[in-house]
Amino acid sequence: MDRFLSLCFRLSLFLILAFIALPILVVFAASVSPSAAISFDPSQWTLTWFAQLADRRWLDPFLLSIKLAAAVTVLSGLLGFLAAYAVAYQKCPGHEAIMAILVSPLAVPQIVKGVAIVLFLSSTGFFSLLGMPGLVMAHIILTLPFVVRMIAGAMYNFDKRLEQAARILGANAWQRVRFVLLPIIKPGLFSGMTFAFILSFNNIPLSVFLVRPGETTLPITVINHMEYSLDPVLAAVNVASLAFILAAILLFEKLGGFSTQLHGGSK
Amino acid sequence: MSSNDIEMVSVTKSYGGTTVVNGVNLAIPAGEFVSILGPSGCGKTTTLSMIAGFAQPSVGDIRIRGKSQKGVPPEKRGIGMVFQNYALFPHMTVEENVGFGLRMRRRPTSEIRDAVANALRRVHLEGLGHRYPKELSGGQQQRAALARAIAPEPSLLLLDEPLSNLDLKLREAMRVELKDIQEQLAMTFVYVTHDQDEAMAMSDRIVVMQRGLIAQTGRPSDIYERPNSSFVADFIGKSNLLPIRQLRQGNNAVVVCLAGDLTLTARKTEGIAAEDARYCCMRPEAVRLSLTADDSAVSANRLQGRLTRIVNLGAYFDCFVTMNDGTVLKSLVRSTRLPGLAVNMPVFLSIEPDAIRLLSH
Repeated sequence: MDRFLSLCFRLSLFLILAFIALPILVVFAASVSPSAAISFDPSQWTLTWFAQLADRRWLDPFLLSIKLAAAVTVLSGLLGFLAAYAVAYQKCPGHEAIMAILVSPLAVPQIVKGVAIVLFLSSTGFFSLLGMPGLVMAHIILTLPFVVRMIAGAMYNFDKRLEQAARILGANAWQRVRFVLLPIIKPGLFSGMTFAFILSFNNIPLSVFLVRPGETTLPITVINHMEYSLDPVLAAVNVASLAFILAAILLFEKLGGFSTQLHGGSK
Repeated sequence: MSSNDIEMVSVTKSYGGTTVVNGVNLAIPAGEFVSILGPSGCGKTTTLSMIAGFAQPSVGDIRIRGKSQKGVPPEKRGIGMVFQNYALFPHMTVEENVGFGLRMRRRPTSEIRDAVANALRRVHLEGLGHRYPKELSGGQQQRAALARAIAPEPSLLLLDEPLSNLDLKLREAMRVELKDIQEQLAMTFVYVTHDQDEAMAMSDRIVVMQRGLIAQTGRPSDIYERPNSSFVADFIGKSNLLPIRQLRQGNNAVVVCLAGDLTLTARKTEGIAAEDARYCCMRPEAVRLSLTADDSAVSANRLQGRLTRIVNLGAYFDCFVTMNDGTVLKSLVRSTRLPGLAVNMPVFLSIEPDAIRLLSH
């Protein structure tokens, strides 16, 4: 009976993984197929579509998206840390209400947020902020709730007696943050920043309102291209950005060591 | 220049409407091992965190080395502290933990290295410096926490029930080591505990607290032999506490009539007017149990009863003797003296008048 159950679990796990992975496999096959018809025959596979990615048409949006995601990641990590420090760590007056406000953008659909930001910028005369500055701000509104939640979670779990121990050993406020708090909540900080990076790099609903002609992000460029043709270069773009995001996640994990947190480990 | 490391001047601490510490006056001389002892909720931990600076007195002042600590944050007080759960930094090795205090003070690297090695040697953790706290046993973590606290060589060390998470054997060994370290370093130790054995074993002085007040202060032997209240008598060690029903004055001695039909002769207790005596207190080891009536070892206060329960403590028997009127007296008997004791035996008790203390409350 136990063996039967264990078999069922394995089977369902396999099906779930297949459900997640199969679309990606199809996109991968499309990216190496010689024509728009997807081929699953490896002997026909070709890398010609990937060669087109070096074209400025794709390279510029890709670099723009990286710049945008990097700025959003760093800024929302910084702001998220400061917000969580006040709300979750110092428990400033009204911290529960402030936390609710900080995560409230989650409840607003991205399309609505996008329209609201464009209307705000145009009605206040900040139209010039469209493009990169507007994108960064809009993406931070999107990512901040995730980052704050992640860091706050780590801070709520932080043993305050460590702070007391550091204090009595002579550490001032800055030293306590730098040498005790930050290293211990680092996994939460980095997993929050990873979310910010992925959300920003892949974002369409917000970016679509804020990009300027000749200055578009990679996902918007893909959408625009799709309106005219559905050629395999799109699949190649997707595979390339998927690989890039995976590499970024691995880098963040290396720096922040958050897999231990996700797996419930310690240290 | 004051020779007191800590002076608490009518310190009161209230949270909302609750007063946790109530007008405490306490002077702790430099180099003493002082225990603050009391049941949970007596205010001992609050007292410690006010000395450390984690809590501020609502009223009164705390002076450390003669200086008022009003507005002085914990990081500026120059004291060490060992926490109940050790509070070791989990992301640092033992060496980094121990060197933390000196690093924060920006001492030269070579000085930190020597101080860390010294502190680790003192707590017998040589060779474990590269481990992380979670790779250590509970006892080793305890030692690492102690090493971290003493490495910057503070003149004053606060200890918040540091042994309560260790098993009995280790606890007893650590008592001896803590006392040795305190004497070698000539530091002032303020040790908070609810364990009276710990306090008795290590302290130069014990401060017994009860409901935010100091119940009694004194050397361990003073407090054990001359408790000033039924609370202290009951909390420190075991005791037979009997309420006094009626009191008859003698010339040098006081005759005490107890609940029921027991009549005991006690000597006057210093500091208590005979008419104020409400309780009398006898330590179980002062209640001598014998199987025959004509035990010549003790002169006065001969009682007769029945042995109703024996708790075997190994070296001793904890004997419960029920008198004819139902009063139960405890007697501690060395097991080698009366090896044949059994429940339901008729026994005789005798108590020296000197061993009976009168208490007013």
